[in-house]
This record gives sequence, structure tokens and C-alpha cells, in this order.
Amino acid sequence: MSEPRENILVHLLRIDRRYIYLILWLVIMLPLIFPFRIQPKPTPPVQQLFNYIDTMPENKALVISVDFTPDTRAELQPMVVALLRHAFAIKRRVGILAISVYGLGLGEEAIREVTAEFNAHALTHEDSVIYGEDYVFWGWTTPVLTVMLGMGERITNVFPVDYYGNRTESLPVMRHIKNYDDIGILTSIAASAIPLSWINFAQVQFGVNLSCGITAVSAADFYPYVNSGQFIGMLAGMKGAAEYEQLVAERMKKNGMDWALRNRGTEAMSSQTAAHLAIMGFILLGNIAYFATRGKRK
Amino acid sequence: MKRRIPLLIVLLTGIFGAVAFFVPHPAIRAADETMRNDVNRIIAAFSLVLGVGSIVQHHLLKIRRKAQFWSYSYITIVALVITAIIGLFGGIDVSRPGILPTRIGNFSFHIQTLYSNMMVPLAATMFSLLAFFMSSAAYRAFRARNLEATLLLLAAFILMLGSVPLGRIIHRQLPAFAEWILAVPNTASKRGILFGVELGIFATSLKIILGIERGWLGGGGK
Repeated sequence: MSEPRENILVHLLRIDRRYIYLILWLVIMLPLIFPFRIQPKPTPPVQQLFNYIDTMPENKALVISVDFTPDTRAELQPMVVALLRHAFAIKRRVGILAISVYGLGLGEEAIREVTAEFNAHALTHEDSVIYGEDYVFWGWTTPVLTVMLGMGERITNVFPVDYYGNRTESLPVMRHIKNYDDIGILTSIAASAIPLSWINFAQVQFGVNLSCGITAVSAADFYPYVNSGQFIGMLAGMKGAAEYEQLVAERMKKNGMDWALRNRGTEAMSSQTAAHLAIMGFILLGNIAYFATRGKRK
Repeated sequence: MKRRIPLLIVLLTGIFGAVAFFVPHPAIRAADETMRNDVNRIIAAFSLVLGVGSIVQHHLLKIRRKAQFWSYSYITIVALVITAIIGLFGGIDVSRPGILPTRIGNFSFHIQTLYSNMMVPLAATMFSLLAFFMSSAAYRAFRARNLEATLLLLAAFILMLGSVPLGRIIHRQLPAFAEWILAVPNTASKRGILFGVELGIFATSLKIILGIERGWLGGGGK
């Protein structure tokens, strides 16, 4: 190899990390400013979850457990929003709770956003999404074991008051959601191993159907539970959220709800794709430089 | 006595917790419900007091001793007190006010406002730094030095390509192949690891319940 080219490769190996940070920052920012449209094709775990919720009996509720913290909001919050939209679009009751106390604010944000969307387009009382009738936000209580096992007996015992201080017994929706028997599926959105606790306590004891939404880095840990059928479906990372958003958008369109809503997971896909490609480029470049200069370094 | 009572409590509650899973007798069920709904919650409430007390004590001590970065401890304590007061008495948001006035003109500082505008961006900023460190580390350290590293590199490439549209352009089946890697070889290896981990948890739990493992009592297990 010629001397100048070898020098470039050696220089590349010792490049200041700040250049890498700068390149990555540009790669992430530019597609956010000038987005290119990417519509990911739903993977089997996402499609399974969508199909299950979509065909859930009318008298069964969707329960969303907001078990993540604000640091993973960008990745996981689109899942909560998409699930809420799906449930409200097909008129299923929704219960929301938080296992982590941080989940309260995130759950509240998602509820506000989605209920505002639906109520802005509602022409009749039937079309509206009303608190206490169509959905309930139970809030947070501790410890985890009390919540997961107690909800199998009577939810109002575990959450005597909701997040807003109302007696849960007084809410009409609670006449239809008494315990796990009334829950069609419970989805735990988490950046930790909390979904596995739902399996250990809620599913093993009471047989409730479960699914999960998790960060991309932890997806590999949850595949054994999807394969075994313990999780009916799974949303993995922002891509999982984007795939679910696409399915929900199609369902809403079919139901005459073509409202051109923002899909934050899908919007971020262009940036994430560019970042993935950049990281692959970094790894390739690093390896080429490493092998090309191996002899010289020896 | 100081050690025997906690050991006895753990022994009894540990055995009861296991028994309650297997014996559906109404008396056991009722006792289990009381344990979970009442006793557990009381203990959790005490742990909250312990947690707040511990963090306040730790930071007051840092301030008193002027330890490294002691001035940040003021921020922690002030943030803790203000957030607790607003959370307890200030209401959730404008539509659900509390007894404490938390709005000046158009400026609101309800707990949800504080959460959405301070907690969320601060936490997201910290987490997003990971992408930069990860890319730098991948560039510097992810090398195909030997067979294992090469296999890891290949798997990572296939998974990354499978999750971006370029993967489908390279080969239509690449995303499905990436999914297969996660669903089959990954699951097989994870299951093996999980069996080991679960057996380890079971053995450790038994050791704690039976008082063989006493590290949790403090004092280095003496």
C-alpha cells in the first residue's frame, strides 16, 4: 500500500471522537429537518398485537401499563399514543396505570394528546372519548406485587382513587372493568424487565393476556416470551412504534377517521435509518483502517 | 435478638408467600390479601420515608463537610422540597388546580408542567448522549479480530440492515432473516441463559428464606 494512503488510514484510526459526534449529530438532525418518508413493513410480533386488539371482543378492555421513564420517552411514548388511538378508534374501553411513578406524567401526556384528537373531531356524545366512561387513569400505587396480584381480584381495591382523586367505584367504566377477567389484553410499555413481572404475577396466577412495548436494545431479551406465546405481540423500539402507527392509521382511515394525525415514531424513522447507516459506515471504516494498517502497527 | 427477629420474619413471610401460591384455602387467601394490600403498602410507605430521609441526610452532610461538588446538593434539596410541595398541594394542571396557587398570569408551574418541561428534557438529554458514545465506541472497538467477534459483527450488521429500508433493497428477504436471527438463534441462547438465571434466583431465594444467606442483614454477613 502506498505511504500517503496508509497515513490517511492511520490518521482515521486515531480520529478525534468529536468529529464522530459531529457527523452523527448532523446525520440525526438533517433528516429531522428535511425528512424523507419511510414506511416500515410490520414485523410478525407487531402485526400479531394489532390483530389481537383489533378483533378483541367489545366487552373487553385494553389496559396500558406505562412502565417507562422520561429518558426513553422518544422511543416508547409513540407506542402509548398509537395504542390509545387504536382502542378509541374501535371503541374499546381503556385502563391506564403506571408501575413506575415517572410513568404518571407520561401517561397523562398521552391521554391528553389522544383524547384531544378524538374530541376535536367528535360530532356527537357517542363519538367523544369521555373520562370515566370510555377510559380511566388509575394512576400509580406501590408495591408492584400488590398491583399485579391485586388487579386479579378487584381493581378498585388496588386503586381506591384514580389519578385525579375520584373514587374509582364511582366511575361508570369500572362497572365493566372489575379485574383481569374483563381485560382483553394488558400491554406493558417499559425500558426495563417489568413486562416479565407481569408474566410472573398476573399471567401465571390469573391467565391475563399480555403484550409489551420495549426499547430496541432490550428486544432480544423478550423474544423468548413472544415465541412461547406468553406475549401475544411485541413492539420493539421506535421501529415497532412506527409499524404500529402505520397499522392504526390504516384502521382509522377505514373507519372514516382520516385525520392526518402526527405519527412521531414514523417521523423519526428517517433520522433513525440515517443514524443506523452512519454507525454501520463507522464500523466498516474502522475495520478497513484496522486491517489495512495492521502490518504497520505490528 | 437483633438478627434473629429479622431472620424469623423472613422465614415466616417467605414460607407464607410460597404457600399462598399453592393453597387456595379461603383463610390463606384472606391472609395473603391482607399481606399484599395492607402490610406491603405500610412497608412501602416506610421505605418512602427512609428514602427521603436518606437523600436529605446525605446531601446535608455533604454541604456541612463541603465535600466535592457540595453546592449541587443545595439544588437537590431545593428541587426535592419544591417538587414535593407542588405535587402535594398544587394540583395536576390548570384544569385540575390544587389548594396552592400555581399559576401567575399565563405562566403555570403545576406538577405536569414541571414534569413535561424539566424532567422529560433533562432525562432525554442524558439518555440521548448514549448514541454518541455508542457510535464512537463502535468505530474504535468493534473489530473483526477473531471468529467470535466476526460473527458478532455479522449478526449486528444483518440486524441493523434488516431494520432499515436499505436492507430490503439489498435483498427482499433480509428483514425476514434479521427477524429469524432474533426469533430462533437468539431465543435458543436466551432460553439457556434464562434457565440458569432462574435456577440461581430460586437457590438464592431459598438461602435467604432459610437464613443461610445473611448478607442482606448488613455487617458483611457476620
